[in-house]
Amino acid sequence: MTVSPGGRPASRSGLALVQLIAIVLLTLVVPLSLRFVHGHSADATSRVPYLPAFPGHRSRPFQAERIPELRQMNPGAVVIGDSMAGTRIDERLLSQLSGVPVAPLLQAGSGPAFWYLALKNWVVASGIKPRVVFIFFRDTNITDVMFRLDDPYRWSLDMVAGDTEEELNDVVQAALDGPFYAVHQAAERLYQVDGARRAVEPIVSRAPARWIAGPAGQPRLLEYANQRFGLDHLRVMEAADMAADAGTDFAASVQQSVLPLMLREAQRGGFKLCLVRVQRRPVNGQPPVQSPALRKYVRDLREYVQAHGGILHDDTGDPAITLDMYEDGDHIARNARPVYTRLFFERLRLLFRPAPRVSGAPAAQ
Amino acid sequence: MIFHSLDFVLFFLVFTAIYWWLPHRLQNVFLFAGSYVFYGYVHPWFLILIATSTIIDYCAARGMEARPEHRRTFLWMSIVTNFGMLGFFKYFNFFVDNVAAVLASMGLPWNQPTLRILLPVGISFYTFQAMSYTIDVYKGELHARRNLLDLATFVSFFPHLVAGPIQRASFLLPQVETPRRFSTEKAGSGLGLICWGFFKKLVIADNVGVIANKVFALGDPTFPLLWSGVFAFAIQIYADFSAYTDIARGTSRWLGFELTENFDHPYLARTPADFWRRWNISLSSWFRDYVYIPLGGSKAGEMTWARNVLVTFLLSGLWHGASWNYVLWGAYHGILLVLTRAHRILKPAAPVRSERHPLAAGLATIAQIAGMFALTLIGWLLFRETELPAIVRALTLSPFSAPPDDRSTGLYLFLLTLLYSVPLWAQSIWVEWHRDESGVRRPAPLVPAGWSRVAVQGLACGLAFAAILLLRSRASLDFIYFQF
Repeated sequence: MTVSPGGRPASRSGLALVQLIAIVLLTLVVPLSLRFVHGHSADATSRVPYLPAFPGHRSRPFQAERIPELRQMNPGAVVIGDSMAGTRIDERLLSQLSGVPVAPLLQAGSGPAFWYLALKNWVVASGIKPRVVFIFFRDTNITDVMFRLDDPYRWSLDMVAGDTEEELNDVVQAALDGPFYAVHQAAERLYQVDGARRAVEPIVSRAPARWIAGPAGQPRLLEYANQRFGLDHLRVMEAADMAADAGTDFAASVQQSVLPLMLREAQRGGFKLCLVRVQRRPVNGQPPVQSPALRKYVRDLREYVQAHGGILHDDTGDPAITLDMYEDGDHIARNARPVYTRLFFERLRLLFRPAPRVSGAPAAQ
Repeated sequence: MIFHSLDFVLFFLVFTAIYWWLPHRLQNVFLFAGSYVFYGYVHPWFLILIATSTIIDYCAARGMEARPEHRRTFLWMSIVTNFGMLGFFKYFNFFVDNVAAVLASMGLPWNQPTLRILLPVGISFYTFQAMSYTIDVYKGELHARRNLLDLATFVSFFPHLVAGPIQRASFLLPQVETPRRFSTEKAGSGLGLICWGFFKKLVIADNVGVIANKVFALGDPTFPLLWSGVFAFAIQIYADFSAYTDIARGTSRWLGFELTENFDHPYLARTPADFWRRWNISLSSWFRDYVYIPLGGSKAGEMTWARNVLVTFLLSGLWHGASWNYVLWGAYHGILLVLTRAHRILKPAAPVRSERHPLAAGLATIAQIAGMFALTLIGWLLFRETELPAIVRALTLSPFSAPPDDRSTGLYLFLLTLLYSVPLWAQSIWVEWHRDESGVRRPAPLVPAGWSRVAVQGLACGLAFAAILLLRSRASLDFIYFQF
């Protein structure tokens, strides 16, 4: 049965068209059953208290003890980041080289929301005046507020979040309201997928472990599996990602990111903010390919950061950072960490010096 | 633009709506423009390559008809252009790396140039498709097209542009040239293919792909871990590639086109030859028609046949990627085919299945399928593992030396992969069950019609959609065949 190209149905094809519409509607209606999987529990409707844009709840308290620790340490430099910073910087060595205490505020699997809150709620809130704060990132993730903000990673945000984080929530909401997330949110409201996923996903992924080891042995088996695939068992991979072009429109992404808030906090705290873009894993002895879009993104990022009183340091293309320094993926091997730290200090030693004071002006200006 | 993105969903909905309001000629203009937007969405410079290939092939085919005495020259023009582009972007670094390695082994160090450029996605597919047009015109099986737009639409047709299936000009070009009608049956079945494709990609391939990636990242895999990872990769690559094909076929049906099938439940194959009748059918048949048969096929004796098979499979392996492991994978499958034929020649024929007890015949079939699947897994190890020393190490691992915890973990990963792939196996077994002795599919016993069909189709699509929402992987992986 067919309809004409102009869309005018022939007599019998009217019914066929209705049937096609019925199939489409059934496709959309059947998943409504997901609402009953987990739809009636409080979990499905709860919101993260400091981030109401997200469903969920707070699993950890704010780590307020970091504030007096920082005051006591009074660092001259602070390093914020995820494993990109953690595998690169030996803070003791950096401290020796620079002659100032270095405070690492590192969290594996963290993203820009964590880094911003660590800057605001720990560094600035402590009132310390470091000469410089470094934030490590990869490619475009500094302006991707949604990076590592989903379920498996968000727990670490609890440690740096206050009771309310309205500005962060506004940024997240702005990112969520884009065309992509708007559809996600609509699907979430309609089907209540998150609650159902939280209920069903662990059942599926753990079922084979239960079949093998029984309910009592299942946690041990899963723990062993996680350890077996830990960093120390991985080989040096050549699987460095080709430059990802998602999110390379800087102008579009910066206003939906926490970067402006980071730069503002640095000015408020009176210290220099230095963003460090790490070099991804070299390929064939060369730095990884930078697409034109990514190169433009980095240029725009540099201009923006400098215009707002910050600094962008880009490791990409540094001939001293060679493939043999890498372990798995973009991580630096433990034995190459001192080498990187020395290079890092050599490249940025000026930032560790006290800023020249101009009367009436903040130290970092 | 990739299929499993909302960008594509929105693009396709808007595109299809406008498309059916246009008359045929404008539909083709719109289809051509849409395909170029789809392909150049992230890297507009890719369009230069596809446009070059199209224009050269158009001119070559027209030249063949206008100047028949120079047909061969025009054919070479097409082949050199298409293989030149493919060779430059895909194999340049591989070539110079190997030359440098050879020179270094002779004590002649060479600071080789490296091409630092992205491999244009889909280039292996559309160059082969475009070449099928000029070769068919050269052979006189197709006449050269006067309308460049039709040819460009055929080459760039977006549903299958990036990862196939590779369509022959004789099959797809007439569909471009003739007026199309919207068919509700086709659209309904297309929606089914799209939902099934997305389910296979997002639920099966991406979930088991995480397992495969983790295992192949291990520096010290033991036997059970390695082979559970290979099993996961086998499921991943089939689910992933066949998902792309299904989505391509489904979206094509919404636009009034029909694409050829690319997979026929390959993991239920019984012999190497059977496997290649079922796996990546469009590429296999391309190599059969344009490499194997021109080399002489099986007409000139067993030794020549064996040489032709090996050459064809070596080239097919190299087509997949500029790395020795792909060549090794191609050689492995070529050797399997040769050995199977040699075995058949040397061993007296077994009794035909009808003479056997049904239970014995059934068990023999299962054993054949299991054996062929095991051989396929060895092939996937060669395909997935890019480092030759690691391949050697993997093939020499002892199944008895693994610690008990690794055995449990390997079994866990195997069962998890099996769990995710149950729908894939169920579908294959169902189809195989309804195949007769000659391999032809029998019609299913219960074919719903009318509103029953609507209910079954809607329910199936709805369940696939629900499963995608519920179980889609948190890791979004690219389609594997994009890299080829």
